[in-house]
Amino acid sequence: MDWSAIFLTLRLALLVCATLLIVGTPIAYWLSFTRWRWKFFVESIVALPLVLPPTVLGFYVLVAMGSRSPLGRWYQSLTGHGLPFTFEGLAIASVIYSLPFAVQPMAAAFSQVDRNLINASSILGASRIRTFFRVLLPLSIGGVVTGFVLSFAHTLGEFGVVLMVGGNIPGVTRTVSIAIYDQTQALDYAGANRMALLLLAFSFVTLSITYSLNRRVWAVWPMQR
Amino acid sequence: MAPDTLSVRIAHRLSNAFALDAAFGAPAGFTMILGPSGGGKTTLLNCIAGFAQPDSGRIALGARVLFDSDERINMPVAGRRLGYVFQNLALFPHLTVAQNIQYGIVKLPADERRARMMAMLESFRIANLIARKPNEISGGERQRVALARSLVTNPAALMLDEPLTALDNATKSKILDDLRAWNASHEIPILYVTHSPEEAFALGERVVVLEGGHILAQGMPQHVLTTPRHETIAQVVGFENVFDATVRSIAETQGTMLCQLDGSTTQLEVPLGHAQIGARIRIAIRAGDIMVASAHPQGLSARNSFQGRVQSIRREGVRVVVMIEAGATFEVHLTPGAIGALQLEAGKEVWLVIKTYSCNLVEPSPQ
Amino acid sequence: MTSIVAHDKLRNPIIILAALLWLWLPAHAGTAEIKVAAASDLTFAFKNVAAQFEKQTGTSVKLTYGSSGNFFAQIQNGAPFDLFFSADVGYPQKLEAAGLIEPGTIYDYASGKLVIWVPNASKLDLSRGLAVLLDPTIQKIAIANPLHAPYGAAAVAAMRHDAIYDKVKSKLVLGENISQTAQFVQSGNADVGLLALSLAVAPAMKDSGRYVEIPSADYPPLIQAGVILKSSHNKELAAQFLKFLKEPGTVALMEQYGFSIPRDVAAAHGENEMPAPH
Repeated sequence: MDWSAIFLTLRLALLVCATLLIVGTPIAYWLSFTRWRWKFFVESIVALPLVLPPTVLGFYVLVAMGSRSPLGRWYQSLTGHGLPFTFEGLAIASVIYSLPFAVQPMAAAFSQVDRNLINASSILGASRIRTFFRVLLPLSIGGVVTGFVLSFAHTLGEFGVVLMVGGNIPGVTRTVSIAIYDQTQALDYAGANRMALLLLAFSFVTLSITYSLNRRVWAVWPMQR
Repeated sequence: MAPDTLSVRIAHRLSNAFALDAAFGAPAGFTMILGPSGGGKTTLLNCIAGFAQPDSGRIALGARVLFDSDERINMPVAGRRLGYVFQNLALFPHLTVAQNIQYGIVKLPADERRARMMAMLESFRIANLIARKPNEISGGERQRVALARSLVTNPAALMLDEPLTALDNATKSKILDDLRAWNASHEIPILYVTHSPEEAFALGERVVVLEGGHILAQGMPQHVLTTPRHETIAQVVGFENVFDATVRSIAETQGTMLCQLDGSTTQLEVPLGHAQIGARIRIAIRAGDIMVASAHPQGLSARNSFQGRVQSIRREGVRVVVMIEAGATFEVHLTPGAIGALQLEAGKEVWLVIKTYSCNLVEPSPQ
Repeated sequence: MTSIVAHDKLRNPIIILAALLWLWLPAHAGTAEIKVAAASDLTFAFKNVAAQFEKQTGTSVKLTYGSSGNFFAQIQNGAPFDLFFSADVGYPQKLEAAGLIEPGTIYDYASGKLVIWVPNASKLDLSRGLAVLLDPTIQKIAIANPLHAPYGAAAVAAMRHDAIYDKVKSKLVLGENISQTAQFVQSGNADVGLLALSLAVAPAMKDSGRYVEIPSADYPPLIQAGVILKSSHNKELAAQFLKFLKEPGTVALMEQYGFSIPRDVAAAHGENEMPAPH
């Protein structure tokens, strides 16, 4: 049982989820409330990771943060090493990869809140921030939780992007899914099985708890209004 | 401090099919916005509240300008200090009654907040509901909580979007009493949107009739509603009979015109209007204004009496709706007693009696 | 009456920010360690070697296995390894040409051999050598991807040498690296595989199948070279590891896994140089 891989993966998933909550919530809010006629562009971009093969995504992320890219060079000057094959690089790639799993349930949940409640809050003098935390969020918490859990589970299971961007460095970028792959190649089927079962059980329990708590919001896709 | 007037001048296009174009002033007191659904009433309120931004115009409350397209002023919703009771109330379902009511006054010190809230709970008689959630109280109680929530902030103006539609008459009148009592001591402009002329009469000091995005009439209810100039108002207020007719002759000194109803030989004498012989006009008559006689009436003041045949009789609650064919089809409302006394039944020959002043000339609504 | 004002403030944003910061901090290794990129044919051998090294010096060795060509690409893109043990000489030489290695550290640490391997249940007669691949009962033949795995390139060379490549090429299944290739055959998903000897003699494989060596003359020698990378932050420790490889004890260990010391092999194949892989 490769415990360093397990803890690494848990850390990665938690970090990615926390980041997605911070980054994804404003995006979901904007998608839910804007009336811009070209908003479908943004929706498509957000949804891209859903349909892109992980290797395609991994390839472009690698190019975008590699030593020859502006981002890569800036990071190099800041820290002395590159972004690919590091935990941070992996986290950035995972945030992109799991973005739609966070944004879509949240946007769907926001859209389902009665607009008059938002209006009522405004006319009673509440700022947009207060309206968000006091009215919108409590009434759409199901979607937020679903977004969190889905992106957590999704990051746990990442493989293609991790392989492309991570480099399988033990303790740094060797996640559980890579470790299972490694063990299979080393013909250690028993070890691979143990880790795979653990991952399976963990994902299943997490999903069950979430869905049982959120009986209303149990779809992955935005529901029709 | 002299009460402020809410002055509104708005042009706003919602879609290819609908544009709102309205200008009126609402002084302190109740101003009823009356009209059919889809006529623009809610859009009007949304523009005043700031939920929608009009394409052009000006909205001011006394000296405070809320919106002015020329000056590029558009005050954010939260700063307008208006009260708004939504058609579906929009009570926060996850908060208690107390939290709902306090929502708009959280910035006040705790004592004053509590004092204001208790005062409001008392005047609307909902103090016993403090800890309940909206889904645990009745429709009438929810209505009162919504009103209390809007009024506790001491708004400079109040807007009510069909607030009493789903309630029974007893609850309605109680709430109206509470509102009137509150208004007596606060004197702010109150815009009350409704499609019910009864409510308009009960509360309104002024009526603005809105249809198809345009104001058809405004003024005192008696003037606007009892002698309607537009067909829509006529239909809204309850003129069941509307006929197209052609002017056949004019008697200026009598103050009347004689008109022939389309598709028949029946002629009606109506009040003098601005029309020539041969002009097309439209006549509206309330079903309750038509009298029925079982024999040819003599010595009546009414100028219109003619024969007809009963087509159908239908009971609707406490009144009876009788359709009578007399060249054109007339809808007449009678009491059950009248039906019995005249022994009316389908196929019976009767005489219809209509006063000249019961015939109202209406203009067709703008397309 | 509950204080609703308190609800409106975001609870303890500082705690949340602190937690976030902690998560972002990279994993810290306090102990001395070196990161080694090793060709997949070293999977079992190097686990042993590394364990010995750790015991002897206390330096922890983090091993990552894969195909040599894959590592070559990663290193070009800044992969943070200290040492690279390729399954050939070509990739380290190319890295040298690109100025990515610590000068003078190329070391031919071993020479590998190619074998034909079948699971125990197979009825194939391995004494026929490569000609056994023509057996019509075979549906899938596993080799490593010749594009970036030296053992795969060697397998193709051997098959061409015996003029059977074109006849069997439609049955080829390519493994990402030589380990995955072994896994394909061992699991029964492929009927026969051309594998590294070092994998065939490993305990996991030895008991589940049998093999026969392909004559070394049939393919260019698999001379395997290792280098210290220029980007390494632990060059002294890396040099220590290289020295450890040359010790007699380690050499004996490597031979147990079927590797030969290069000077024996190179002498026998003076004229059969393998063209440098693209």
